[in-house]
Amino acid sequence: MTPQLDEYLEAEIQRLLTESGATAEQGITLQRREHRLVLGGEVESAQRRDEICRQITAHFPDVEIACDIGIVRAAAPSEVEEIS
Amino acid sequence: MIRIAAVGDVHVDKDVLGRYRPALEQLPGVADALLIAGDLTRHGTVEEAKCMATEFGDVGVPVVVVLGNHDHQSDQQDAVSDVLRDAGMTVLEGDTTVLELHGHRLGIAGVKGFGGGFAGACASKFGEREMKNFVGTTEAIAERLGAALRGLDVDALVALTHYSPVPETLVGEPLEIYPFLGSYLLGQAIDSAPTALALHGHAHHGSERGRTPGGVPVRNVAHPVIKQAYNVYQLLTDTVDAGLTSV
Repeated sequence: MTPQLDEYLEAEIQRLLTESGATAEQGITLQRREHRLVLGGEVESAQRRDEICRQITAHFPDVEIACDIGIVRAAAPSEVEEIS
Repeated sequence: MIRIAAVGDVHVDKDVLGRYRPALEQLPGVADALLIAGDLTRHGTVEEAKCMATEFGDVGVPVVVVLGNHDHQSDQQDAVSDVLRDAGMTVLEGDTTVLELHGHRLGIAGVKGFGGGFAGACASKFGEREMKNFVGTTEAIAERLGAALRGLDVDALVALTHYSPVPETLVGEPLEIYPFLGSYLLGQAIDSAPTALALHGHAHHGSERGRTPGGVPVRNVAHPVIKQAYNVYQLLTDTVDAGLTSV
């Protein structure tokens, strides 16, 4: 049975993502939709994104998640900003 | 003219080794120094610090860093700093460094910083011992930052922190967590000296630009905010060159 996506569950998952040594992510956003949890934010690698989903699924196997987490771009800049 | 490259929250571990290198190889052509605003690692381990040293070491310009809260997670912050210093980086915590660049003296004062919030919604040193310790920690750090900034006599003065000195660069974060993202005390310290630029990270969902009440430009250079390997800021402007477009 799908667990209720309430505030307590959201808080538990938020703490899991921060406090778990496997993820240590503080910048993941969680949006509770009717039957699924939508994950947002950006991380440094695809492995980290996949681990976040794996951790949530391992701890909350009945929670359906949609992962919109991106990988932060690391290209060189093309502009300089003058500070005045 | 001095050009400073800056980024924060790079959270280096072995899984990102090599990601920044193509952009960093261009660094000597576009900037005179690289400043990194904390959260250099994921869990603050020596192994991750070695990865950080590999990825951001030997980039052809001086590298000046402060630690962030992630770099304290394993209580190995001193060992982390040692690894980075061994790799040639300057690690600041309440102290300063001066770089001689194109005949100009660039002074940088750095601290990690801490939380407490901002005018209208700031924590006070009152009540439980834990609360007093929380605010007292930020007060002590801000005092060290102010003293370090005021102690420098340079052509351009930059404050480098992990936590934010102003709320403007936190816009995009939930209001409820502002007290965990920065403190007005850092802004007050920055305003106590003729600071030209304040750089910070920590707020991944924040905004890039702000200004202290005293008028000092503040830039949130957290990697997820700037969305590139580093930003470049120009101080003491005469002309722009290096093939970068001025904005």
